[in-house]
Order: sequence, then C-alpha cells, then structure tokens
Amino acid sequence: MAAGVNGARLAISFDVGGTFTDFVVVDLNAGDVVGRHKVLTNAAFPARGVLRGWRELIEQGFAPGQVELAVHSTTLVTNSVIERKGAVTALVTTRGFRDILELGREQMYDIYDLFAPPPEPLVPRSHRLEINERTTRDGSALTTPAQADLDTLIAELRELGVDAVAIAFLHSYRNTAHEALVAEAVREHLPDVQVSLSADVAPVAGEYERFSTVAADAFAKPAVAAYVAELGKALEELGVSSDLHLMMSSGEIASAATAVERPIRLLESGPASGAIAAAFYGQLAGHPDVLSLDMGGTTAKACVIERGAPEMAQLLEAARVRRFMKGSGLPIVAPVVDLIEIGAGGGSIAHRDELGLLKVGPESAGADPGPACYGLGGTTPTVSDANLALGYLNPDYFLGGEITLDASAANAAVALLGTELDLDPTATAWGIHRVVNENMAAAARVHIIERNRDPRSLAVIAFGGAGPAHAVAVARLLGSPTVIFPPGAGVASALGGLVAPIAFSAGRTFLTRLDSADWQHIGTLFDELETEAAREVASAGVDPGDITYRRWAEMRLEGQYHEIEVALPTHNPSAADLLEIRAAFERAYTARYGRMLAGLPIEALQWRLTATGPERAVELRRQALGAGDVTTAAKGTRPVYFGGDDSWIETTVYDRDKLAAGMAFAGPAIVEERESTAVIHPGNNARIDEYGSLIVDLA
Amino acid sequence: MTNPHGSATEFDPVSLEIMWSRLINIADEMWTTVLRTAVSTIIGAAQDFGCELHDRNGDSLAHSYRSMPVFNLIMPEVVRAIIAKYPRAEMQPGDVFTTNDPWICAGHLDDIAVVTPIFVDGEVVAFANTVAHTSSIGGALDGIRVKDLHEEGLFFPVLKLYDRGEPNETLFEIIKHNVRQPEMVITDIEAQVAANVVAERRLTEFMREYGLTSLEALGEAVQARTERAMRDEIAAIEDGVYEAEEMIEGNGTPLTLKVAITVAGDSMIVDYAGTADQTLGGGINCTFNYTRAHTVYPLKCLLSPGVPNNEGSFKPIEVRADERSLLNALPPASVNSRTKTGWHLHTLIFRALADALPERIQAGNGLMYAFRAYARDADGNPQNAHFICGGGRGAGYGNEGRTRNCFPSSAGNVPVEIFENRVPLLIDEDTLVDNHGRGRWNGAQGQRVTVRKLPGYDVPVQIYIHPDRLRFPAPGVFGGESSATNQFLKNGENLATDGAMQSGEISLDDPDDRFTSIIAGGAGYMPPED
Repeated sequence: MAAGVNGARLAISFDVGGTFTDFVVVDLNAGDVVGRHKVLTNAAFPARGVLRGWRELIEQGFAPGQVELAVHSTTLVTNSVIERKGAVTALVTTRGFRDILELGREQMYDIYDLFAPPPEPLVPRSHRLEINERTTRDGSALTTPAQADLDTLIAELRELGVDAVAIAFLHSYRNTAHEALVAEAVREHLPDVQVSLSADVAPVAGEYERFSTVAADAFAKPAVAAYVAELGKALEELGVSSDLHLMMSSGEIASAATAVERPIRLLESGPASGAIAAAFYGQLAGHPDVLSLDMGGTTAKACVIERGAPEMAQLLEAARVRRFMKGSGLPIVAPVVDLIEIGAGGGSIAHRDELGLLKVGPESAGADPGPACYGLGGTTPTVSDANLALGYLNPDYFLGGEITLDASAANAAVALLGTELDLDPTATAWGIHRVVNENMAAAARVHIIERNRDPRSLAVIAFGGAGPAHAVAVARLLGSPTVIFPPGAGVASALGGLVAPIAFSAGRTFLTRLDSADWQHIGTLFDELETEAAREVASAGVDPGDITYRRWAEMRLEGQYHEIEVALPTHNPSAADLLEIRAAFERAYTARYGRMLAGLPIEALQWRLTATGPERAVELRRQALGAGDVTTAAKGTRPVYFGGDDSWIETTVYDRDKLAAGMAFAGPAIVEERESTAVIHPGNNARIDEYGSLIVDLA
Repeated sequence: MTNPHGSATEFDPVSLEIMWSRLINIADEMWTTVLRTAVSTIIGAAQDFGCELHDRNGDSLAHSYRSMPVFNLIMPEVVRAIIAKYPRAEMQPGDVFTTNDPWICAGHLDDIAVVTPIFVDGEVVAFANTVAHTSSIGGALDGIRVKDLHEEGLFFPVLKLYDRGEPNETLFEIIKHNVRQPEMVITDIEAQVAANVVAERRLTEFMREYGLTSLEALGEAVQARTERAMRDEIAAIEDGVYEAEEMIEGNGTPLTLKVAITVAGDSMIVDYAGTADQTLGGGINCTFNYTRAHTVYPLKCLLSPGVPNNEGSFKPIEVRADERSLLNALPPASVNSRTKTGWHLHTLIFRALADALPERIQAGNGLMYAFRAYARDADGNPQNAHFICGGGRGAGYGNEGRTRNCFPSSAGNVPVEIFENRVPLLIDEDTLVDNHGRGRWNGAQGQRVTVRKLPGYDVPVQIYIHPDRLRFPAPGVFGGESSATNQFLKNGENLATDGAMQSGEISLDDPDDRFTSIIAGGAGYMPPED
C-alpha cells in the first residue's frame, strides 16, 4: 500500500456498514486509489471503530495533515430508528391530532394476514402533547398559540424530561409561523433540548408522513449531534485538519453542521454512497444510464442511474415491520436515492413452499450459522451453497482464502432440498440460482418500468460480495447489453463519498394550478429555498460564487395523487415561462405514462431547489490500455455449470489482480478477487477498461 | 423448460415458480399504473381498486398483491360475462369492454370494470382486468333513503368502451352526462385502460420469451397447486356443520344473517339459508357474486393466507344463498350500501368456525367508516371528497388488536390536509378513543373525528353518511368484551336516538355546527384477566 508522500493531497471516505467499516483513500494529485482498508464495525460505539481504522491508516503512513477531504457515511440514524434507541422525544401537535402518528394511513399491508402488526410510532402517546393552534389550508392563522398555553406546554415538557421535541402542526407547509413560535418558546426555556420543526424538515402536505418524519428527526438528533462532535474532536486530535463531511440519503455531501441540524437526511447514507459510486464507474465506462446491483449477504439493492445521476425519490420507509413489505414501515419524507431493497443475498435460504414450489429468500441464514458451506452448522441450502455447488465459488479462495468453504456440506444441503422437490442436486442448485436471479430481475423490472425506462437501455453495475456472481444472469433477464464490474467490489461503494457533490436540496408544498399561479409568491418561495440551501452548502466550505442552483416543480394533472418532477428555468419562474413549463410537463408525462390526458388542468404541488458546489474533487487516472497476455492472469480451470445445452464446462479462472487494462477474453470464465467472484457466461466477451473495471458485453 | 402446452404436472417447481412470479409482477405493474394516473381520492388516496390477469376463459391467473381483496374474487365473473355476450372469436385488437352491472361486477354501481383482451397471433390468449370504485356514478346522494336500484345511479351493462381502438362515443357521452365531476370519472376510467395497455405489452413479451401460445396449461398448473393447498387446509378441519347467526342494522329494523358451514373431507359448503329477505330500498342488499367474494376472502385469511390467490382457492368452497334473500338479491333491489351487510360475513364465518379454528379466528372488527362531503367552489362548481376512518381490529389468540384499518377492504384513509384542500371543511380532531372491547387480548381502540365548516365559507356544506354498528357492536369471542357502538353527533346531540337514522344527510349550516363520528374499536378475545 502506497503511503502518503510529502506534499500529497489526500481524500478519505469512510463508510460504516453493518459488519465492516470501509475506507478508501485517494491521492488527489495522482488520481490514484492509494488505500483500501477494512475494520470491523463497532456496533455499540461506532466512533471507536472508525477511529481504529483511522489510526491504522496513519500507522500505514498516511499523514493526517494531508487530508483535504474527509467524507463519512453512517448507519447511525437507521440503527437508531430500527432499534428504537434514540432521544426521549416529545411530539407537539395541533390540538386534536396527537394520535396521527398512531392512526397512520390505516391500510393493510398484507391483505391476508388478520393480525399483521403496525409499525409502532417512535413517540408514545404519553409524550405526544397538544396545543391550541390552527392554520387553514391557505396558510391563514385561525388560532395562534396563547402565552398561557405555551407556558403550560413548557411545564409539561419539563415534567417529561425530554431531550428532543418535534413540532408538527396542520398545514405548517403553508405557514411556518406557529411552529416557529412554539420552537422559540422551547428553545428559550429549555435550551438543552433539541428542536425539530415539521415545516423545516418536511414541508409537504400529508400530516402522517410529515409528523412521522419530524418525529424521527428529533428522535435521532441528540445522538447524531453527540456522535459528530465526538468524531470531529477525535479526528482533530489525530491531526486531521480538514472538516468532517457527511453523505446524505440524497447522495449529496453536507457539512457536519447540516447533518446535525437535519439528521433524518442521513437515513440512507451508506446505500446512497454505493449508488453514487455506481454512477461514477458507469460514467467512467461510458455508460451514463445504468442499473446498480449491490448484492450482499442478506439483501440486494438496485437503483436506476440516468445521465450519470441516481434516480431520486422524496419518500422512503424506515424500520419496516416486514422488511420487504411496502407499507409496513415508518414513512420518511426526505430526498433519497431511489433504491429498492430485495430479499436476495448470498445467505438467502432456499426452501420448498406449501405449494411445492422452489422459493429463495427473503429469509437469510445471516452470518451465524450462515450458509451450510461456512461449516458453522448451517444445514439449510442458501444461494452461496448453490453457487459453490455450480462451481462459481472457489472453496479455497473465499475472502481471499481466509475462510475455507465446506463443499460437501453445501452439496448435502442442496441435495436434501432436491429430494423434497424431486430434482437432482445440480438441477436444484441451478434452480436456486435461477429463482434468486428472477427475484432480483422482477423487482428491478418494476422499479425501472415505474420510471418508464426500458431495462434494455441500462447497463448493469455489479457490487457487493455476491453481486458479481449474479450480475450477468440478471442482466440477461433484463435484456441489458453490458455488465460492469468495478475494481474492489467490496469497498467500491465507499468511493461514492469522494465523487459526490457538496449540495443541498430543499422544497416546499404550494398547491396551485399553473394557469392561475401566483408567480410572485412562488418567486418568494424560491428565494427562501435558495437562502436556506445556500447557507447549508456554504457551511460545507463552498464559496457562494461557486454555487449553482437548479429548480424543479412536482406537477400533476389536477387532482392526481402522484406527481412527476419537471425541471424549471434557471431563474425564478414567471407567467412568461408558462408555455415552456407546460410543454416540459407534457413531455415528462408522456414519457412516463405513454400518453397525455387531455382536458384536465395542470397543477403543481412541490417547488424544489438544489444548490450544488463545484464539480467533484476526485478524478481517477486513466491507465494505458496494454496488450498484455491474458493467460498470465489465468490461475487454472474448473468445471462450472451454465445450464441448458452448455451444462458443465471446464472453465478458465482468472485472478482479478493480475488482469491489466486492455486485456480481453471470452466467456465462459470465472474472475476471482478477494471479496467477490464474477461469473462470465459462455458467449460473453470480457475486457478490462482503462479504469480497471471489468466490462462484459453480452452476446 | 417443459412443454408449455403440456398438462399441469409437466411444470417443474422452478419453472412454475418463475413463470407464476412473472404474472404477479405484471399485475403489480398494472396496479402501479392505475395509482399513478387516476385522479379521485377514492382511487388515488384510498386505493379502492384491483387488477388481475385472466386466461382466455376468464379464470384468474394472478392479481396484484395490493389489490382490493373482494375485487380479485369477482373479476373472473366479469370476464366470463363479457365472453358470453361478445364471443371471443369476434373480439379485435383495440377492443376494451366495460360494465358496472352489480350482478356481474362488484355488487354496486360505483365499481366499474375495464377489461382488455390480449392477442397473440390474432388469437385472444388472455384478459387484463381492472375494477375501480368511481368517484361518482350519479344517483341519490343520501344512500339510506333510496327506494330501489334505479335511484342509485347510472347502470351500464357489458358494453364496448373502445371498438378496435375507437372510443364508444355514445357510452362516454352517457357517462359524462350522468355523473358528478365527469372529468374525474372519465380520467379514472382512462387510468384503468392505461393499466390494461401495460399488461398487454408485458404479457405478450412474457409469452414470446417463453414461447407460449396459450396460458391455459400454466393457469391450470397454478390453480391446481392453489386448490390443493386450500383442500389440505379444509381437510384438517373436523367434518361437521358449523353454524352462526348475527344481527345487522338493516334499514332501521335489525335483520338476521345465518350461516351453516358444512365441512366434508376437503371441501366445504357455506349456506346462508335462513338469512333475512332482501329489502328493496336502503341499498343494503348483496348480489350473489359479492356475497361469494366476502365468503371466500375471510376463509382464505383463515386457511391459506400465504398462498398467492387465484381461481384454485375458491373451487373447494361452494357458496349458497336463497334468491331474493339479503345475500342473493335480485333487481331492482338497491345495492349501493351492500357493505352494511357484506362486511359482516367475515364475523359470521369466524364465529361459526370459532370452535374449529380457535387460534386463527378474529374477534369482531370495528369496521371502516366513510363520509362524503359536498360543497361548491366560488364559481359554483361542485366539490366532493371522501373522508375515511378505519375501525379498530379485533383481538385473536395471542394477538392484541393493535391497529385500525379498512378490513375487509384494503383501502386506506384520506389525509386531513388533503381532504381540507378539496372541500371547505375543517377537521377539529381525529383522536383515539377507548371504545374497544377488553379481553385476555384486547381489541384495538376506535377513533373520534369532528368536523365543521371552514370559517368564512358562508354556504351550507352537506355531509352524507350511511353508518353501521349503531346497535350491534363488534362482537367479542370466547367471553371477550364486545366494542362500544358507533355514535354520530351533531352539536353534541345523538343523531341515532332509537338506534337508527332516518337520513344520512347532515347539513353544516352555521359556522359553529359540528359533526362528530365516533367509530368503534375492535372486540376482545376471552374474558379480561383482571
């Protein structure tokens, strides 16, 4: 590993995951990845795990004083919400509405389960307080909180001994005054209590979603504040001179101050980093439109990337009661990289269902006992067991040989299931492999088609420990033309932190028909959004003159419940832009739904703005495409199963570390690296590009 | 892969799993398309619709997992009725069929079916079917007071909505002139058409990929497995006759529902003989297809909740109800508020099977409640919106009732802020109340909602309700407490003094007029321990 030489400028990204904390170090002058490092995550004290990694990197010779950029992805907020370990939080609502958090949307998420449990609210009823206040739908104040009521509220909060207060009033997205008034009183009388306002955190119509979001924000706030302060101080003590930055769910980089102020935006910090890294490697390989497929031990995550940027959503679900069941989680309104999570990983368990069909997942064998091939006592066959039985995995080179896989245990587990299904062991293993691929392709297909994209136009980028073994098969099911395997699949996602922009997005609900819009009011909204977003971006060290602004509106036909995002002019829109905006909506609508419905007026619901800092700091160096002899990278052959007429084929195995830029070979092939194994099918053509990515063109 | 034209047994457990999942996947895409393109609160927010794929005979292949359960069960009948009127051989690409006939479709005029035949090589191979609750079908606003079916709105038999791609202008014009807010109604129907177009594209791709020219063998294989699972569960119940009786509100005078469930081997007969006669007015009558759907759905929840649903689930269950009874009403009986009867069938069935399946049944549910508000905007244009509240769920063995939802409907509620943006009303409170039944395991709490006019809005606003549980609460089981009854108050005064309501119209005239609905919680299971 290269050490930081004198004068080097370093950028470090560190990504805390469930099992490992990954580090990637880039030399900014050379454009080289000069360090990849992995330490075990300290689940109870994540900052300690992070600091251990930093110390080890420094011991390896990296000079902390040369770090110019430090970006952090964290699972802190997700874990806090899932494990219900957060602040003692109160929710203050409009009188009559403290139970909104518990009423939810009152919809069954499983129509056949009579007793499906609802997600428990983060704030129990005893901590949900009400105050006399009311704003109406047009933002008029009907009842303003009285001083006496404020005094009572403060006394109640003091009595409850809360650490955090979420304030959520009806229609506050139209008028923030009452929430601000109450916040001011709380801050004045209870200065140590963290305060979150629904009008700041999620200023959108729909009280359950907004209340749920602000409750989660307040719930996580004290822990995030303490963590960021602890980490910042410790890094400073280590001699790190750069400020700490954090990756938000949106794939945007924020200052530590922004993260502390808006902790709920960190919910999908790690997965967002992965999506940004996928977009980056896709661009490098000349594929701005890709599907990222990050398949680990328990789940696979898929994300559509268009024109080099991940697709975004404005709503996600946290802490689902049933992990893969839509509607069983807490809704969170926040800009988020639009990922789907699929119950398909290396540890997914294969079984015969009550109809006699072969099912795979979503249950996972986890790490203990894990797949049967781990030899830790697991006896149920998993995806990894099938992959071993089919010859995809090398029993002697799993995690670079750290673990020896037990092939006979894997075969026995697979064979046992085969007996139940009346299939021979190979057909069973092949069935497991096919079904898990179908599960991923099916979920990805709906996700892609909801955006009216054609899966055949997207290259697939394979990440994660298990992704490379399945990516070609999934790509074939989707009709994708190309699969890209970036180097170092195990830690590649951490690189996302170094290539994402410093940016901040903000939005506000203002429901209006376009043909009768009050453009002056909309201009005022955009001015406010611009001030807010500029402040956050500047706090991450960006010069105000380097900020660019983009404006969007979420629009729909009058009365619809689902909006589409339409880009607006770069200035505050006015009546003069109406024709252009209308045309942009019609184009977007037709692209998504196939045709425009005539006769209904267009309305806009959300007005959004993004402030973005300068282009990414990190640029990787191209390697010269050589004419190296690919046979030097071959480490042998083994029989591998590819189904159909191809059946078992004696297949060449390559060492990824020895494959140099410009080398090419034809499938079938197996490419082994430390943390993953790529499976290349017969008929595929593979090559290494100038950034070290393995590119497979599907014949 | 095995021969796609072969018999059911020739599909191996891998191919069948993959192909079946693909079909469900397509139905999910249909569902997403409707949700994203519809405009009414009843579809967009409450999600009162369903999507299904059928083989060429109308047998169901797969439905979206978020579909309205009852719609899934009536949709095959819709397709069969279409085939009976328009022979398959005469169907052309671009044809789209529709009906809202309550005896064919979903039991009242508000549910509209849109069915598109799917062609491969010039032959009909499948049907895409979307049934959705329209925001208006015309007719009386106050459903309690209707005298017969004809007061309930526009009725259209099975007709072509599109003929080889050309809209049936006559039908569109008739619909437009007979419903309130026609743009909204037509846009929702077009959303259904759009969903079927998605299904057509995806299903033909799927069949091409697998070289299928027909879906019957696949359908048979899927249905055979589902049927086997249901039969195995029925066989596990001890043979015998299981009976129960239940009182419902009726049109002011309580009426009796009766069931006798005969379990014999691996099949069952559910017979509603002894149930009250149909009543012409009031809208509380169930068509037989609706009765059958509300019979099979709760049985599926009890017996095979984990198995994807299709035709095979229903084959082992025979449903009988006497003609001209409340559960097999004939025209011109009014049917609009058939949930007042049909939503009690699961309670009746759970009670009948309580001793046979004590650990699976559920104590009484509070049941969903909705009110509709009608007002006019500044230009005099009508505005209307539904407000929906879930009832508390009943307890079960080892299960507290912990939530409120719209079971046996899969609808959701309408957010207060969205509702207030659509009609000039102000919701004053939406809060939990302790009106549930206690037990060893408690029912879930109910809720109270109070509404008044938006200050400054001078014209009266009408609210329409057709409430349930006025006299008969959600019943407890095995000694668990029943819930309280529903209550409806105007300015604190009970609107159902003798347990019945003469009218479902509540007019909010003065700025201070307040209308309060208190919706029952769920019932308890076994006596409370304290």
